[in-house]
Amino acid sequence: MIIVENVHKSFGSLSVLRGASLEVERGETAVIIGASGGGKSTLLRCINALETFDAGSVRVSDLAISPGHNGASHELHQRLRQRVGMVFQQFNLFPHLSVLENVMCGPQYALGRAKEQAAVEARMLLDRVGLADKIDKRPATLSGGQQQRVAIARALANEPEVILFDEPTSALDPRMTTEVLAVMADLSTSGQTMLVVSHAMSFVRRSAHRVHVMADGQVIESGSPDQIFKSPRDPRTRELLAEART
Amino acid sequence: MKSSHRRIVLGWLLLIAVLPQAANGDALDDLRTGGELIWGADQEGGGPYVYPDPADPSKLLGFEVELADLLAAELGVRARFFQADWVTLPEFLENKSIHVVLNGYEWTPGRAERMTATRPYYIYELQLLARQDETRFSSMEDLCHPPQGVRYKVSVLGGSAPDSYLREHCQSSIELYEYDGNVNAMQQVVSGLHDATLQDLPIAVFYRNLPQGRGLKFVGEPVGRGYYVMYVRKGELRLAEALDDAIERLLADGRLKELYERYGLWNATQEGLAEAAVEAATSSSARGWEAVERYGPTLVKAAALTVLISVAAMPLAMVLGLFVALGREYGPSLVRPFLTVYVEVLRGTPVMLQLYVLYFLLPKMLGVGLSPIFAAIAGLAINYSAYEAEIYRAGLQAIPRGQMEAALALGMSRNTALRRVIIPQAVRIVIPPVTNDFIALFKDTSICSVIAVVELTKQYNMLANNTTAVLEVACMTALLYLAMSYPLSVFSRRMERRLAGEGMPVAA
Repeated sequence: MIIVENVHKSFGSLSVLRGASLEVERGETAVIIGASGGGKSTLLRCINALETFDAGSVRVSDLAISPGHNGASHELHQRLRQRVGMVFQQFNLFPHLSVLENVMCGPQYALGRAKEQAAVEARMLLDRVGLADKIDKRPATLSGGQQQRVAIARALANEPEVILFDEPTSALDPRMTTEVLAVMADLSTSGQTMLVVSHAMSFVRRSAHRVHVMADGQVIESGSPDQIFKSPRDPRTRELLAEART
Repeated sequence: MKSSHRRIVLGWLLLIAVLPQAANGDALDDLRTGGELIWGADQEGGGPYVYPDPADPSKLLGFEVELADLLAAELGVRARFFQADWVTLPEFLENKSIHVVLNGYEWTPGRAERMTATRPYYIYELQLLARQDETRFSSMEDLCHPPQGVRYKVSVLGGSAPDSYLREHCQSSIELYEYDGNVNAMQQVVSGLHDATLQDLPIAVFYRNLPQGRGLKFVGEPVGRGYYVMYVRKGELRLAEALDDAIERLLADGRLKELYERYGLWNATQEGLAEAAVEAATSSSARGWEAVERYGPTLVKAAALTVLISVAAMPLAMVLGLFVALGREYGPSLVRPFLTVYVEVLRGTPVMLQLYVLYFLLPKMLGVGLSPIFAAIAGLAINYSAYEAEIYRAGLQAIPRGQMEAALALGMSRNTALRRVIIPQAVRIVIPPVTNDFIALFKDTSICSVIAVVELTKQYNMLANNTTAVLEVACMTALLYLAMSYPLSVFSRRMERRLAGEGMPVAA
């Protein structure tokens, strides 16, 4: 489903990705963990082409993104993003639109669906994330947890093959974190392919099928949660897990 | 840009300040003590009255400059020139900046009531001018009685004697365009935009052989005889008499004739100067509510034009500004420098100059002219688009980067993201500053008087120059401006509050 091979990326003289590679299977919930500054978010943003990369390759099903950027890549990136959803740490809901309109946005403006159809589907998705009573509210009037659930519904509305989650609970307090993780666990159970960057170890234990550990711009080890938690091979993984436990 | 508004306020403040003191102090004693006769005129009005020497602009030429010297000598003092806008000269007289207004001021009942007039120093007539090849009319009569379906376009200096002559004699059968300067009025005939111009004879004579008047011919006999007089402050009878005596002596010994001959101004009509006398002022001006009734409708009509121009110009400026801002923020790197130049040139040059280029110069280069109102709308729209573009740019920059990323991540194209996500938010942010600009534009319409648009401020100036009811006219004008801009302020404040309620970021 997703194949990332030997991706390199630097911002000026700062080298962020140094040959990162990973694979995500269809229907799998994969989680990337790692110390901050390890390149997790950048890797995620390379997968939906919000960032360009300098070398290596990224494939999402039959679409391949090459390094750098050229005029022809615009359309390719757009098609790619229609199949890859993203949920941001800061939600990034559109403040001038109602909750319902936020969720309708993708189908209506990116996929060109009819408004009525988009509205029906958006209501169902908002019901699924437990916000059926908020459809006419503006995002600014919702709590952080509610906003992130709207953002998840917005990503789902495009019926993406995979959803990327970029630290979806880092901006939330513990109670809100719980409600957002519950929605994500539900998605995982339903077979939605997900690639999640997260520090929430409870989610990793409960829902992840595969865990990738990133450090120094590379994926240093990958395995099932059991393997990673019980018998980490890399000393940096052990260090990371020790920190998470305290 | 705002000077014309200040002038309105200044006008009646000065009037109020001056009223109680008018009786005190005698101007004749005052000027003898000071050793100077301070005379007010506007060199922008040009030849042959008072104009800068083309060879040395710090020196003044003109028959009134020489006349002032002669008169001062007769009074035993030196003459000192005081520069002021032509229409505001009575204000400067009343606040005692000058002793006398000496600048082709016609005797009118309104002025004679406000100030004290001297005896005439020149008998003017009005001359019709048209292009050399003009064959459709050969007299004032023809012009005012055109064939069925024809309306000649005639340009004049706004508020001048030709202006009132045409209003009185053939307003309904011609299209009248009022300009801020004589030369502008003539140029529009030379360029073919208008058909004829009516000018004071001295002006017609003066420009006959100058480039500005080339291509024009005299049409028919002069019409509308009247007097140029000097004005002193109301009740300064001793000074008026002293000036009368001086004129009489200059007439008697032929020095005045000699002066006028040198300027080509002497003609048979001037033989009447010796006997010419102006009537005493009769109380014809309305004051109080009567003035409101008499001048109100004219001012309201001018205010309507102000509204029309701003309401048409602002939406254009907003749309144009949005495209410029989008081009500068998101456009191809090739066009960005051009847009930067566009914004900087328009912001860095006076809007008056831009209107001049648009209305006077462009038609000469392209051969097609805009009507004054269209030129005013286009000029203000283009000028304000530069300011709106900068406001939009600030608005666009205030939208967090995550908004564009979220829209792109949903698979929208960049253009769709701009249209559906970025621009709607930016527009909300810029509503308050744009509304403020709208109010500013309302007031800036006064600048359009330079291209023959008689909007509210220009109308005020023209009325105030010819009536004693300056206070009433100024109050009405101020109230009209307030009535137009206040609703906008209220709207702006409401929008700001509504946006704050929506949790939108608000631009500085």
